[in-house]
Amino acid sequence: MISQASVVIIGGGIIGTAIAFNLAKLGVKDVSVFEKSYISSGSTGRCGGGIRQQWTSPMNVRLAMRSVKLFERFKLDVGMDIEYYQGGYLLLAYTEKEVEDFSENVKMQRGEGLDVVLLTKRQIAQKFPFMNLEGVKGGTWCPTDAHANPQIANIAYAMAIKQMGVDLNTYTTVEGIDTQGGKIVGVQTNKGYVKTNIVINAAGGFSHEVGLMAGVDIPTYSERHQILVTESINHVLDPMVISFRNNYYVRQTMHGSFVMGQSDKKPAKGNDLGHTIEFLEEMAPKMVHDFPFMNHLHIVRQWSGAYDLSPDAQPIIDESRSVSRYIFAVGFSGHGFMLAPAVGEAVAEMVVYGRSKTTDISNLGMSRFASKIEKEHNVV
Amino acid sequence: MKSYETIVVGGGPAGMMAAITLGSKGVKTLILDENDELGGQLVKQTHKFFGDHAHYASVRGFEIAQKLQEKIFQDTNIEVETSATVIGIYPNKMVVYAKNGKEFKATYEKLLISTGAMEKQLPFINSDLPGVYGAGAVQTLMNEYGVMPGRRFLIIGSGNIGLILAYQLIQAGAEVRGIVEALGKIGGYAVHAKKIKRLGVPIFLKHTIVRAIGNESVLGAVIAKVDNNFNIIPGTEVEKVADTICVSVGLTPLSELAEQAGCKVEYIPQLGGYVPVRNERMQTSNPDVFIAGDLSSIEEATTAMIEGKIAALEMSRNFIKIAANKKNIENEINDEIKTLALFRSGPKSAKIRTGLEKFGINIKHVPKIESYGVQIGPTGKLRAIVDCTEEIPCNSCEAACSFGAIHIGENLNSTPVVDYDKCTGCATCVTACPGLAIHMLKEDLENSTALVGIPYELLPLPEKGQKMWALDEDGNYVCDSIVKRVVKYPNKTNIVYIEVPIEFSRKVLSVSFPKKESPFVCRCEEITLDKIERVVDSGITDFEELKRLTRVTMGPCGGKNCKLVVLGILSRKTGVPISKLSHGTSRPPVKPVEFSLFMKGSDPT
Ligand SMILES: Cc1cc2nc3c(=O)[nH]c(=O)nc-3n(C[C@H](O)[C@H](O)[C@H](O)COP(=O)(O)OP(=O)(O)OC[C@H]3O[C@@H](n4cnc5c(N)ncnc54)[C@H](O)[C@@H]3O)c2cc1C
Ligand SMILES: Cc1cc2nc3c(=O)[nH]c(=O)nc-3n(C[C@H](O)[C@H](O)[C@H](O)COP(=O)(O)OP(=O)(O)OC[C@H]3O[C@@H](n4cnc5c(N)ncnc54)[C@H](O)[C@@H]3O)c2cc1C
Ligand code: SF4
Ligand code: SF4
Repeated sequence: MISQASVVIIGGGIIGTAIAFNLAKLGVKDVSVFEKSYISSGSTGRCGGGIRQQWTSPMNVRLAMRSVKLFERFKLDVGMDIEYYQGGYLLLAYTEKEVEDFSENVKMQRGEGLDVVLLTKRQIAQKFPFMNLEGVKGGTWCPTDAHANPQIANIAYAMAIKQMGVDLNTYTTVEGIDTQGGKIVGVQTNKGYVKTNIVINAAGGFSHEVGLMAGVDIPTYSERHQILVTESINHVLDPMVISFRNNYYVRQTMHGSFVMGQSDKKPAKGNDLGHTIEFLEEMAPKMVHDFPFMNHLHIVRQWSGAYDLSPDAQPIIDESRSVSRYIFAVGFSGHGFMLAPAVGEAVAEMVVYGRSKTTDISNLGMSRFASKIEKEHNVV
Repeated sequence: MKSYETIVVGGGPAGMMAAITLGSKGVKTLILDENDELGGQLVKQTHKFFGDHAHYASVRGFEIAQKLQEKIFQDTNIEVETSATVIGIYPNKMVVYAKNGKEFKATYEKLLISTGAMEKQLPFINSDLPGVYGAGAVQTLMNEYGVMPGRRFLIIGSGNIGLILAYQLIQAGAEVRGIVEALGKIGGYAVHAKKIKRLGVPIFLKHTIVRAIGNESVLGAVIAKVDNNFNIIPGTEVEKVADTICVSVGLTPLSELAEQAGCKVEYIPQLGGYVPVRNERMQTSNPDVFIAGDLSSIEEATTAMIEGKIAALEMSRNFIKIAANKKNIENEINDEIKTLALFRSGPKSAKIRTGLEKFGINIKHVPKIESYGVQIGPTGKLRAIVDCTEEIPCNSCEAACSFGAIHIGENLNSTPVVDYDKCTGCATCVTACPGLAIHMLKEDLENSTALVGIPYELLPLPEKGQKMWALDEDGNYVCDSIVKRVVKYPNKTNIVYIEVPIEFSRKVLSVSFPKKESPFVCRCEEITLDKIERVVDSGITDFEELKRLTRVTMGPCGGKNCKLVVLGILSRKTGVPISKLSHGTSRPPVKPVEFSLFMKGSDPT
């Protein structure tokens, strides 16, 4: 741990490490990253690993498209194979209304330059003959959507930044942010004090608490989401499949196992990460219904993680108005993993150039909550 | 044409025991067998037999055959014809056999047929490729002719025969890539299964062979999972590399001769297929014809010998004139029937009991089976650890211990109990146990080490001072160890004593020479020691990060097998004691469960 840093990043999840990586690439290497546990202990290590560009808000689409570009080069840039697989995403629609909404989305997404199409039920059945499509009307299909191993991605960033000279501290908890007259002067951890003028809040499910450390009230809260993994079998399923109506997402990892989850009816609030038997009882019938071959598949493990939610389920990436150079990249809900490479790049640019250059993220500021908010619909 | 009082067809343990019994009662007997020496299945068996100590348990199969042969050759009432293939049983009590290209005839007053059984076939695609063998053929080639039909074997069927074959193949220096079993549990004895698992052979339960791969000869096989109805679950196919596939899916009685002799046969799957109908004294529907051994029900050498004896005693009554002697024989028969019932009273004989009930033979009045878990005994004392918790008919350890420290009791299906006050640490039981289920243990608390004495039947033997890998119950690498002592025994079950860190005193169950390839630490995910060490060396010293990068401990076993080993490696590399390392969180389910479990509705709360 160093005693003085240009930038302090709180949180060693995918967002914190991606920001540190991009800062180091831009030449800012006297950066301290604090992670209160091990790398990938937060939501990142618990997430589904899906990488999707099919969003209802143009901003999310753009950010995700940039991310996919960066994921494609991840191995070259960051130096590790993260089991990245461009197997597409299939979103299922069950009503005329849903089909209509989907076709609106497709129009917008194509406008942003995304290769995405509407599929009929027949076309879906041809592509995925092992699925039971009872009740399905149609869907959308984006072949460049992808998935990857989020734990390895997180650790890959961590190993890369360590090599680039970043001061990465695991098992180190930030306990306070020291400000004087609206300016940051340092950060207190359980292992010592670091002088700094720039702090980035990338604390995932703890973003609200870490905000309060500098007196900033960020409108985020966390919610438990459960997930499970099966034994591995031969590769059969290319894409991540999402059914909003049946409330699930599922993908097959490169290792052969299936990872899947849902939104619980009444998700537990906070960061207390337990798991319930109801989750398995709710998942089993719908998954076996839609994927009959899963009947005899073994569930190997279940766990849960926190969604760090914002009021519109979209990330908040901004600099505080009250405390200068207090930057936050929080509120990623269920899609922070996929956005991380682009967000890392954007936030590093905010630090160095004062604003993000590569991707326009101006819509993701706090000011949007002053007016009526447009909620992201495509979420599980 | 010669005439005999009795003729025995088939010279396996059943036939040999019958001949010995008949001879001892003064009955003129001819025993015929198609092989060039007597012994039947025993000749091929190099392992120590299970069973009742009074019936040659703990003696190696081919040695049992030698002992029985000696008795036969000493008895002038018995004539032996080997290389004599019986081609038919003809009217007027005539047996016709071929020998040296010539036809021979002999007549009997009473006939015993003990022709044993043949292997069942299993149909799969390309099962006619060279390189697909029955288990018996492989045993014959290997144990009788010293020829190895291949290098890398895949075995289909996890009954005792498949398990023993796997062990024999490894002893002969071959590689066994796995055993495929369609049922959800291992068919044979747990001790046999554990013996080969410790040598690193995986057993794929609920799997079957789909096809053999290869054009000219076997190059591998496709295996797949099956559901409860034995249908292949699509998408679960995987390829295994192997140059030989051994099919060992059970035996079926050779009942043709019995049928020709006018014995009624019935199809009783629990007994192995078509079997002659017979009574408790092995007499068939033809009162002059008796059967014994695998022909009457696919079982074991011990039961074959007892049945042979019962049949012979019953047959001999016909030739005995003195009433008092008749009475003695009656008592002997009843004693043997009781022994047989005891033997068959365990859970492993449930099938046989059901089958026998079809003949009206009920096994009742058997003493209770006592079962116990594995006892650990007093820490620090050199002692025997007996890992034998399945109720199988075996009592070799009890008989071997001259200090009376092991108790099984009247019902030999009971599991052994050790009295550690009496155990002197002499290790005789370790070398006697046919299941290699016993090992020696002594902890040294001062130096934080443990001495583990492991039964070892492979060659070459390690030497004192040598560095060896200590392995766990699945043959996975646990830690390095040093050989402290090697004790050789005349029965070839030697004991290798190794020293390991005390943390692993209960985990280490096997030992192997260090290999060039790095050992598997986690077999579920096929992760080697080398891989883990490389990742640790690259700067990952946190267990959780190591786990996520390598997948170690993340397989279906949930790390039950390898977690401690990984922590041991981390501890060795970082100098942090295991007790100070974080070891991750346990998450349900503790054992993998099918989705179908949750489809039937839950227990209402
Ligand atoms: C079940 C589930 C499924 C998901 N599926 C997907 C998906 O398919 N695709 C996708 O893109 N996203 C998915 N997500 C969302 C994704 O996991 C998150 O958005 C993303 O991981 C957020 O990254 P992060 O770095 O912000 O947070 P985290 O990974 O949670 O990292 C924050 C870190 O900050 C640390 N920290 C907090 N407070 C302090 C402090 N005071 N001092 C020091 N350190 C601190 C924490 O320990 C933590 O490690 C899913 C989430 C869950 C729970
Ligand atoms: C791999 C393996 C391991 C085993 N391990 C054990 C063990 O550990 N403990 C145990 O108790 N049992 C064990 N057994 C079982 C045991 O070997 C058999 O149950 C026993 O040998 C049956 O004896 P049997 O005399 O009925 O038949 P067999 O031993 O099969 O003998 C029958 C004989 O009849 C001959 N024959 C058949 N037809 C004719 C004919 N037409 N003319 C002339 N001769 C003929 C055969 O060639 C054979 O020699 C094992 C068996 C195998 C295959
Ligand atoms: S080690 Fe010796 S004394 Fe102890 S149980 Fe075994 S045979 Fe008996
Ligand atoms: S421990 Fe005893 S009863 Fe068990 S297999 Fe070994 S000798 Fe037989």
